Amino acid sequence: MSAESPTMHGADEHLPISHREAGMPTPLVGMLLFIASEVMFFGGLFAAYFNARAIHAAEWGPPPGAPELEMLPIALPITIVLVASSFTMQFGVWAIRRGDQRAMRNWTMLTLALGVAFLIGQIYDYTTLGFGIGDGAFGTVFYTLTGFHGAHVFGGAVGLTILSARAAQGQFSRRNHVAVEAISMYWHFVDVVWIALFSTLYFLR
Amino acid sequence: MPRPAARRRLRTFLRAGVPLLLMALLAACGMVPPEPETREAKEVYLLYNIVLVMGLIVFVGVEGFIIYAIVRYRRRDDRLPTQTHGNNLIELVWTAIPTVIVLILFVLSTLTLNSISTRAANPGVTIEVTGFQWQWTFHYLDGDGDATNDVSVTGSAATPPVMVVPVGEPVRLILRSADVIHSFYVPAFLVKRDLIPLGEAAPNELEFTVSDPGTYAGQCAEFCGLLHARMTFSVQAVTAAEYDAWFAAAQSGATPGPTVAPGSEVVKLSAEQIAFNTHALEVPADQPFTLEFANNEAVPHNVAIYDGETELFRGDILSSVGVISYTVQALPPGEYTFICNIHPVPDMTGTLTVR
Amino acid sequence: MATTALSPQSKSYSRSWVVEWLTTVDHKKIGILYILNSFFFFFAAGILALLVRSELAVPGLQFLDEGTYNQAFTMHGTVMVFLFIVPVLSGFANYIVPLQIGAPDMAFPRINALSFWFLPLGGILLFAGYLFGGAAAEGWTLYTPLSGPTYASGVGTDLWLIGLLLVGTASILGSVNFIATIFKMRAPGMTLFRMPILVWTVLVTATLIMLATPVLAAGMIALFIDRNYGGAFFDPNTGGNPVLWQHLFWFFGHPEVYIVILPAMGVVSEILPVFTRRPLFGYRAFVFATIAIGLLSFSVWAHHMFTTGQVFLPFFSFMTALIAVPTGVKMFNWMATMWRGSITFATPMLFALGFLSMFLIGGISGVMLSAPPLDFHLQDTYFVVAHLHYVFFGGSVFGVFAATYYWFPKMTGRRLNERLGKVHFWMHFIGFNLAFFPMHELGIQGMPRRIADYSPDAGWTLWNLASTGGAFLIAASILPFLVNVVATFINGEKVGDDPWEGNTLEWATSSPPPPYNFDKLPPIRSERPVFDLRHKHDAEHGAGERGLVEGDHR
Repeated sequence: MSAESPTMHGADEHLPISHREAGMPTPLVGMLLFIASEVMFFGGLFAAYFNARAIHAAEWGPPPGAPELEMLPIALPITIVLVASSFTMQFGVWAIRRGDQRAMRNWTMLTLALGVAFLIGQIYDYTTLGFGIGDGAFGTVFYTLTGFHGAHVFGGAVGLTILSARAAQGQFSRRNHVAVEAISMYWHFVDVVWIALFSTLYFLR
Repeated sequence: MPRPAARRRLRTFLRAGVPLLLMALLAACGMVPPEPETREAKEVYLLYNIVLVMGLIVFVGVEGFIIYAIVRYRRRDDRLPTQTHGNNLIELVWTAIPTVIVLILFVLSTLTLNSISTRAANPGVTIEVTGFQWQWTFHYLDGDGDATNDVSVTGSAATPPVMVVPVGEPVRLILRSADVIHSFYVPAFLVKRDLIPLGEAAPNELEFTVSDPGTYAGQCAEFCGLLHARMTFSVQAVTAAEYDAWFAAAQSGATPGPTVAPGSEVVKLSAEQIAFNTHALEVPADQPFTLEFANNEAVPHNVAIYDGETELFRGDILSSVGVISYTVQALPPGEYTFICNIHPVPDMTGTLTVR
Repeated sequence: MATTALSPQSKSYSRSWVVEWLTTVDHKKIGILYILNSFFFFFAAGILALLVRSELAVPGLQFLDEGTYNQAFTMHGTVMVFLFIVPVLSGFANYIVPLQIGAPDMAFPRINALSFWFLPLGGILLFAGYLFGGAAAEGWTLYTPLSGPTYASGVGTDLWLIGLLLVGTASILGSVNFIATIFKMRAPGMTLFRMPILVWTVLVTATLIMLATPVLAAGMIALFIDRNYGGAFFDPNTGGNPVLWQHLFWFFGHPEVYIVILPAMGVVSEILPVFTRRPLFGYRAFVFATIAIGLLSFSVWAHHMFTTGQVFLPFFSFMTALIAVPTGVKMFNWMATMWRGSITFATPMLFALGFLSMFLIGGISGVMLSAPPLDFHLQDTYFVVAHLHYVFFGGSVFGVFAATYYWFPKMTGRRLNERLGKVHFWMHFIGFNLAFFPMHELGIQGMPRRIADYSPDAGWTLWNLASTGGAFLIAASILPFLVNVVATFINGEKVGDDPWEGNTLEWATSSPPPPYNFDKLPPIRSERPVFDLRHKHDAEHGAGERGLVEGDHR
């Protein structure tokens, strides 16, 4: 049982079994389910993307007059930034599982900074593209997908801010840090969506 | 005691059976489609009847059981009935049998579908049907590459268009929409197909072969906005000879317009976004006048003039952007209504004052 | 361990009932809020239906112009689906599920409250269209391009989209709550296969909501972008695909109809065993059938699109026919439950039996529609209107009334009057069939749906008139129901913990239950813990006295 949920349950080994929480903590179950619904939401948007792409297969891409999508100098670096932020988030989770709230806070704030950097890069990228949401099928699905992904990054950033503030107040411990676990799951999800989106836009084309 | 028990069983049976029989009879009478008038419709009609009978059997069986059970197993005493939790064999059987039944249904349905979807190599008539808010244009494609001699019929709410087709030959329809999704539906043909604005992509097509001469009502069957209910038409199936005669006449006949008296009054009217630019026109009485009508959009419009319910003038329809000069006969003084026949909505209605 | 009675709240904690109800996070109060709010929208959408039926009674436009008529049927469908039937079932689930699993509340009580309050807000936004140039008027399915910026330029459609985005979000959050509650908060001894069937159906329903509603949200956001930001999702003139909307909508829309029917099936599966005194026949098979329906529901959506000429007919026809099998299995399970039972006919049972019969008809007409050649004739006609009302109304709404009569005593401590209940049922049953059965015939004869008027030469007048009569009879049947509810609140028959001799845990606590639901739980060794307790007790003490089931709780 403890092996399945590695975190807080290792922390209550000292308690008699009748006093331990069984299975995955309820807030984490809730976050997983919420993430499942978000997967379906992005699924709907991806469906729209692939439908438009199939219909316009011959000329799929930015409208005439706008340059082709390029991974450099922006898209690939911000991808690296976001992927790195997943690592820093996970380091933070491992820190608080050890009981090190200070380190967790630092890693969380670093994750937040990387997330904000991603958003700034994304917005800057928008200004260089040369087409808008109203410029044909490609423009519409491009901005809708990346825009909603960015909105989810923003939501995650808000969560990270709250985590940092709560850590500064000393609210987390080895046994009690389910919010950190939950936000980290959300953050990893946001990263996975970006990897799928980046691959679709820049590799698959 | 055999007699009271038998009587009780009979009573139970009657109590259960009579309402059931009534229901089944009510259901069966009248729940069949209109007489099928195309080759394809006859096959659909057959499938329908098979499926209806299957449905009725299921209904009578299940509903009969329910009625029987509630009569037979009414609570009579406080004893707890046998607590049966399940029976694997019975459950397997009643899963397997419906599976077989739906598979049979699927096979029959697919066979019928394949049969009604066949395309003729050389359809007798090909008609491009364009649906638009809220009427139809039937454009006969004669394949000679010359658009000026094409036969085209556009309807209006007051005079829905008639699609004349020959009996016994495949008729192919190419279905296009000028705006939103419509649907071409003729109940007597037991078929409908959507008209979808698909841009460059291939439009839907529908093919049928009418079996008997007659006039068959049709109507748009995909909600398309304000006047969806008025988007009617009919299909008139005639013998091949009659069709050829009709087609030849339609091709050659262009009714000559009335002559324009020089120096007569000209009033201007235009249409855009399904609205006239003005709702008040004025012309002098007792002399013919010219109504110069400009259509500023790719939506069919015309102008007609009414005195109450009486139609005094009906102008030709402009199907797309353009200008047409209507010559209207002399009118006595009074107030008349001018209106677009295709869109008889407030925005396309006005008052013509003649003084 | 001695019983710990939950003592009355101390004075300093008490607050006015208005504040209490506005800020409650108790699942029982939230459940009641859902139910009350939903019935309000039921009446609103019902009035819209009466407007529609009044106009259609005879040919000619007597009361409404086309524009008003189109708004009326659009709003009727939208409000009935999103603001009545799903939320009311959610409300009953909210009240009953934690009780049935022996839990003190839902997993996330504050999110529970938030989910509720989005509903009246979403409803206000939907109806606000009427104040700003007209409500949405493109049918509840809002097909593009008709619902796009060119042909639906008013703000009513935008308000519809935003209102439903709110309602949909609430729904998704609620579903997360239900799944977490059911998995994490069952009382000791209640394994998954000892859960009441209602809990199973709510579990599958919540999963469907969680996975399907986000796709609708994606579609609605896409339409909003088309309408307001020049987007090209659905506009063929700018590179969009109008049929994409239909795919996104129906990918949600089909699971939606199972979201609507499964909880009602759960309710019927609770009521039949109690009023036949038999266990539900084939509990396990029923659970698997429910799961199968949930899974299959994602594979049939394009059967709503057979006439578009843009979908692969054989696959969707096959899957649609297939989904009839687990549905049929359930019907047989219910029938076998009644077999050799000992049946009484209190009002909840009448509505449950009505459900069986009406849903049977709706199911049969659905199977007919699953065959594309038949669908080519029947799609977008009144046959579909008949089908959907037999399953939505004859199915789910009958289930809702069954639930109301069944659990009203638990929620209020008073039982609704039986005679008025029977009057309500028969008026409702006759009115319903009179209103909707003729629609099968109208559709078969070719009357399209969503038309404000029809020709006097079509031969449709008689059945339309009959249908309108039925609609008004349904409306009239609400009167004995409302009188019953009000009179019972004031001075109805008081009941104890278990007025129906129920099987499941909600009958093991007081009526209404105390704030945290249970002082003490009976042992849970089957899906009928209260039945087991009652019969063990009877075996030991004789049937005359029922000790633990009433009396011990407050």
